[in-house]
Amino acid sequence: MSTVQLPPQPGESDRGASSGDGLPAHAPATYYDRPLLKKPHWEWEVVTYLFLGGIMGGSGILVMIADDRPERDADLARSARYVAFVLSGACPLVLITHLGRPERFLNMLRIAKFKSVMSMGVWGLIAFSGPAAIAAAGQASRDGWLPKWVAAFAPRAVTNVLGGCIGAFMAGYTGVLLSATAIPVWGIGKRHIPAFSVCSGIAGACAVNAAILALTGTDRTRHRVERLELIASTAEYVLLEVFRRHAGATGDPMFAGARGQKLRTFTQFAGILGPAALGLLPFGGRTKTLLASGLTLFGGYVLRETLIEAGKASADDPRAASRQPE
Amino acid sequence: MASGFFTDTTLCIGCKACEVACKQWNQLPADGYEFSGNSYDNTLELGGTTWRHVAFVEQAAPIDAPLTDTKWLMMSDVCKHCTHAGCMEACPTGAIIRNEFDDVFIQPDICNGCGYCVPSCPFGVVDLIAPADYDAPRGFASDGRTNDDATQQHGGVAGKCTLCYDRQKIGLVPACAKACPTESIQFGDVDELHVRAKKRVEQLGARGVSSYLYGVDDHNTVGDLNAFFLLTEKPEAYNLPARPVLPSTRQPAGYTAAAVTAAALALAGWAVFRGRG
Repeated sequence: MSTVQLPPQPGESDRGASSGDGLPAHAPATYYDRPLLKKPHWEWEVVTYLFLGGIMGGSGILVMIADDRPERDADLARSARYVAFVLSGACPLVLITHLGRPERFLNMLRIAKFKSVMSMGVWGLIAFSGPAAIAAAGQASRDGWLPKWVAAFAPRAVTNVLGGCIGAFMAGYTGVLLSATAIPVWGIGKRHIPAFSVCSGIAGACAVNAAILALTGTDRTRHRVERLELIASTAEYVLLEVFRRHAGATGDPMFAGARGQKLRTFTQFAGILGPAALGLLPFGGRTKTLLASGLTLFGGYVLRETLIEAGKASADDPRAASRQPE
Repeated sequence: MASGFFTDTTLCIGCKACEVACKQWNQLPADGYEFSGNSYDNTLELGGTTWRHVAFVEQAAPIDAPLTDTKWLMMSDVCKHCTHAGCMEACPTGAIIRNEFDDVFIQPDICNGCGYCVPSCPFGVVDLIAPADYDAPRGFASDGRTNDDATQQHGGVAGKCTLCYDRQKIGLVPACAKACPTESIQFGDVDELHVRAKKRVEQLGARGVSSYLYGVDDHNTVGDLNAFFLLTEKPEAYNLPARPVLPSTRQPAGYTAAAVTAAALALAGWAVFRGRG
């Protein structure tokens, strides 16, 4: 051993120990508080995609579970088929615009990779758009906008189930995509974020389709859509609260400060409790539906925006990034 | 045979020759002339066009503490070329590959700049190269750059250390290791480097300096690092994660949670739509 008296040094054994162990008391715990991780470069395009993709997937689920008999929910199935089809066209455009090199979107299609959630999502989107287009063509045929024979090539039994199953994937995979990164606040929500993404997607799909039903004056099925919207929104609220408690200090970028206030005000209060309270009112009709739908959709967008912004703030915290959630 | 770096921080003198050699060989733009106030570190972090970064850790002892309590540590940081690389798993285009030297390499002509690798690196290494970093009017041919260099610098794609793939191909040592005047950065076969590094830890221990290897036999989900480090402080002091986690390990839980939620809500919806009223 050296004759020089050395201060206690960190050895192999105490590397995982809490700060201060084996170190002089003045040793800093971080490197000048510089971020340890890199932030995602995602802006409004990705927020919009997460939002629209949820509504698209939710609409696929609605088509699958709606009772497609004329005296029941045929109006809902019709509108949800059209919504799913339109969004399956809009979503790829939003995705492509956010690429650093949009002209290379096709490079996504050179492989399919199970380990890459983004690759799975791209293929999911393509897989969804097929049945969605066929289902919409069949619907247009039954609505008299396309020749009668088209409907014969769009068997509802097949497109309903395909659209519902792939739609469920599309509504949930975006949450998996976020939590399968090194960002602490996303990682710690590996179960919660995919779960409330599905809830918000289904609630958003209910809101859009209820609004369409209200605008087109088809009242038969609207109250059932609003009932499912209430169930999905309630689940979303509960999951957000469970996530907040589970995440603890790691969840601060999402739930504390101005960002947390925004989430509570616009998503939890206005976007979830607002429409629920409107539903209790004994009057209203179509205007009430439109108002409730608007609130739900606004809350859903704010949820996605907060999620992305919280991820960026979380990447800046070297303490959270040092011990990454399992 | 895997090639990699053994960066021995006890030998680093903070000269930044590695940073300069890397910028020069790889024809990467300069980082500007900002003073950070963080010791001699004005580079601050690895980035899309900054593939070596020398960290300066100043730990001044309190006035009444023994002089040996004061530490001034330097460490040349670099892409870790993980055994299980988060960036590579995340990449949806297959642009990020493991090459014949077992190193993680981004093919700039395949990358479409989606940016998913950026938050997927547990070490915060890879970043997108801003398109502004390319000086367009100069043209490619006149300054002798190859098409690949030009593409890399044109931006919109992800960038990080290539472990000098091009130099390795023709039997040259990577530029940073070649330029290092103290052999703090050693390049070679990873297994050989492991043996050498473990001997160095023992040697330092015999002199009363406690040190350890970061990225060797750590038994975490990212596996051994092809670019590993000999450190004398906690990982956090150098801005390295104490517990890196391979992000893709969270996927099964996430997919399961999404599927369960979707199934439950679909059942609830089915009951609503098939029920009375």
